[in-house]
Amino acid sequence: MPKKKAKDRQDNTEGTISRRSVLKIGAAAGAATVVAPHLLGNGTALGFTGEPPAEPAVRCVNTVPATPSPAHRPFIDNFAAPFPAIPTFLSPTPQEFQNSGAGEAPRAPHQRWAQFPMDVTYEMDAKAGLHKFHADYGDTYIWGFNGKYPAPTVLNVYGHPTGVRFRNSLPAVTTTFGRNEMTIHLHNGHHGSESDGFAGDFFATGFWKDHLYPNCYAGLDAFGGNGDTKEKMGSFWFHDHRAEFTLNNNVLGMNGMFLVYDPTDPGHELPIGPSLRLPGYYGITDFPIILTDKRFCATDPVSGRTEMVNAAGGDKWVINGKIQPKLTVRRRKYRFRFLNTGPTQTYDITLIKPDGSVGTMTVIATDANFLQNPLPVDAGAGAGNSNSTTAPIVPGAIRVSVAERYDVVIDFGAFEHGSKLYLRENRPMFVGNPSPDPLPGTLAIENVLMQFNVVNREWWFPPDTPAIPATLCTYPTLPATDNTWEWQFVLAGGRFRVKRPFDAGLGCVFDPDHSAHCILRGTTEEWLINNNIASGWLHPVHIHFEEFRTLKRFVNGVEVPVPPLHSGRKDVTRMEAGQGALIKMQFRDYNGRYLIHCHNMGHEDNFMMVRWDICPDLASLNACLADQQVCQLEMEAKERFREEMA
Amino acid sequence: MDRRSLLTKVFEPHPASPGALRYTNAVLRTQNNEAVKFYDDLIRGKQCVINFMYAECHGSCPAVTQTLKTIYRTLKDRMGNDLFFYSITIKPENDTPTALKHYATTRNADLPGWYFLTGDAYDLKTIRYRLFNMDHPGLDADEALHSGYLRLINDARNSWGMAQAFASNKNILNRIAWQDPPKTYAENVVAYRKVQEKIMQDVKKYGYRRDI
Repeated sequence: MPKKKAKDRQDNTEGTISRRSVLKIGAAAGAATVVAPHLLGNGTALGFTGEPPAEPAVRCVNTVPATPSPAHRPFIDNFAAPFPAIPTFLSPTPQEFQNSGAGEAPRAPHQRWAQFPMDVTYEMDAKAGLHKFHADYGDTYIWGFNGKYPAPTVLNVYGHPTGVRFRNSLPAVTTTFGRNEMTIHLHNGHHGSESDGFAGDFFATGFWKDHLYPNCYAGLDAFGGNGDTKEKMGSFWFHDHRAEFTLNNNVLGMNGMFLVYDPTDPGHELPIGPSLRLPGYYGITDFPIILTDKRFCATDPVSGRTEMVNAAGGDKWVINGKIQPKLTVRRRKYRFRFLNTGPTQTYDITLIKPDGSVGTMTVIATDANFLQNPLPVDAGAGAGNSNSTTAPIVPGAIRVSVAERYDVVIDFGAFEHGSKLYLRENRPMFVGNPSPDPLPGTLAIENVLMQFNVVNREWWFPPDTPAIPATLCTYPTLPATDNTWEWQFVLAGGRFRVKRPFDAGLGCVFDPDHSAHCILRGTTEEWLINNNIASGWLHPVHIHFEEFRTLKRFVNGVEVPVPPLHSGRKDVTRMEAGQGALIKMQFRDYNGRYLIHCHNMGHEDNFMMVRWDICPDLASLNACLADQQVCQLEMEAKERFREEMA
Repeated sequence: MDRRSLLTKVFEPHPASPGALRYTNAVLRTQNNEAVKFYDDLIRGKQCVINFMYAECHGSCPAVTQTLKTIYRTLKDRMGNDLFFYSITIKPENDTPTALKHYATTRNADLPGWYFLTGDAYDLKTIRYRLFNMDHPGLDADEALHSGYLRLINDARNSWGMAQAFASNKNILNRIAWQDPPKTYAENVVAYRKVQEKIMQDVKKYGYRRDI
């Protein structure tokens, strides 16, 4: 096994080189001027930190009806990728067992510790900071990793295990709407439960916890070495998962991107090895688009701050921390990684061409996984990725519900120097100012997410990449199914619940101390996930730990073809009203507690979430089954009482 | 059970508490026919558990009352000191203080720190919307849907939580504990040491952390 591992590492050295070359090219590209201020700011990542900013002096509360945020001028701020996280040495050194003496929060020992010695380590210090969401705004008080929103992006390479120390330096006493306890989930890493940010494992200010991210492919037990390379993933993100306060803490800013490269997707565009040569220089030709919505109070004349309102349901669409930014793009292909960090909204995003018509976005990855064949989404044949009957999708749009990721390639090569393109979101935001540029067709400024300014490629800018390969990857073959199971995401008795096949009553609510489903390690299950309600709720259902394949989709119980953008490997399955999905997933390589939940953060905080366990052996499985969450019995007892009283 | 325990102790609200702006200061009446201001007397600086019910309800209300009674036993030492239960009627036209008193006494729920509240119908509706608003017109209009829901508030921490009355009692107690005043670092060190011991036992016995 050690030999295989050495080979894996060799394969992956390309990735390492590529990252350096990205930085080199970045510098050569003159991007250094853009990068430098961020670099200085990122000194906080290294621990050169000042006093955290004071909490908002003036309360910014939600009013009924809601007051609009302050007006802003469109296309003032530049769109940029969050700065890459800088590796740091950790002191004390990370260890297999919890280091209670040094203030580590409780956790189980790291699984596969000897197999995955950390090659690189980061510190993510969750603390208060200030962020400017728009040039017309004052600073806004946020909670972010290393005081930043969005958090620094972790750029990793398969085969190089990573340690991340999540430190809780949030204010011990806070007047904000956040909860100063945290547990950080890497969505959707294949790693031990102790590094998974289980919703009940939150820890208080002053403590820290080391997560071991092996950056391995799933299939360690069966394939040995670093797993099955067909299980490759790319666009991960990490965020706070504190039960009941996930929404609050994420609105305050506790999330960021985490990209993992492999030889086919190495983070560069050079013809080396098996690289697919997709647009790949992070921050230059490959950008995350981190979506969230916020509402702000008027800038306080005393402090000069523009604080955010303490609730979901904003009237400003924020991407990568900026409102309606602009990006200068060269006439070539770019990769954008859409990520919806919620907390609750779903986006229908279209590309609007200079003539006002809908442009083509070629989807290459759904959630963190390449599609086997890239899928161009436009107003024609590939229109949309939703078969919802209650909320029909805009033609040519990509629907992104909370926590979903879609990696798309946009080719600006066909557009003239000086032309402008726009990303359009179907719901209007509040702008308060006219567009500085005439908008194409019927596009309203209120619907614009961001603006692309197309220019000719300068001599120093990386040349265009070749056409997107017709085949991006081959999916692994799924083994035979060992067990079938059903989860219904229901609104029963006015409450959000998750119901199992045998729950005759109302179903389960989140109980961190009990598992709702026990699974033997190494098995494969088919899960029927259902949203059988007509109330119109949309549930983006997320399953931790491994990617699943969608076998069937249903609308109101009737099987319908799987929409192309649901056909790939995913970790969030969007359940619109009345929809269902039959998914298949493997449970292997690690033991422990994981979650399935609705990723609408308002719903998960209302306990539309249950725990499931992977048990290492039969004895452990039987113990798990004996202590399985007894939503039904508990309910039945109470129902019986209710009948007696009636 | 005297009103003094509610009113004499000094409860400091959290500086960020929205106060009467959100909770209103509607004047309600307890089962002992005492007039209380909803925010100033009942919420301000306190930790509380709130549910909606009505005396003639034969569905879930008695079951929720029973649940609250069970968890009351566990929390007895804190009840009336720093923790309160408020059961608010949704049918004030029938539920006079006398009717609520009857409801409480017949169910052995007339206990220190547990108040059954009635008042003006408009006020109660406002309070219900402010506490249980789901931003969903259909659901918000349906009074019955709020009966299975416990709103957990700690105004000293400006913290809101929720528990489902039909979850297990342990689950509800856990949720209430999440609203408790924050622990100091030293208290957490002690608490975490216990958690860690349990984790290591679990890992040895079952191969993973179970927390059961």
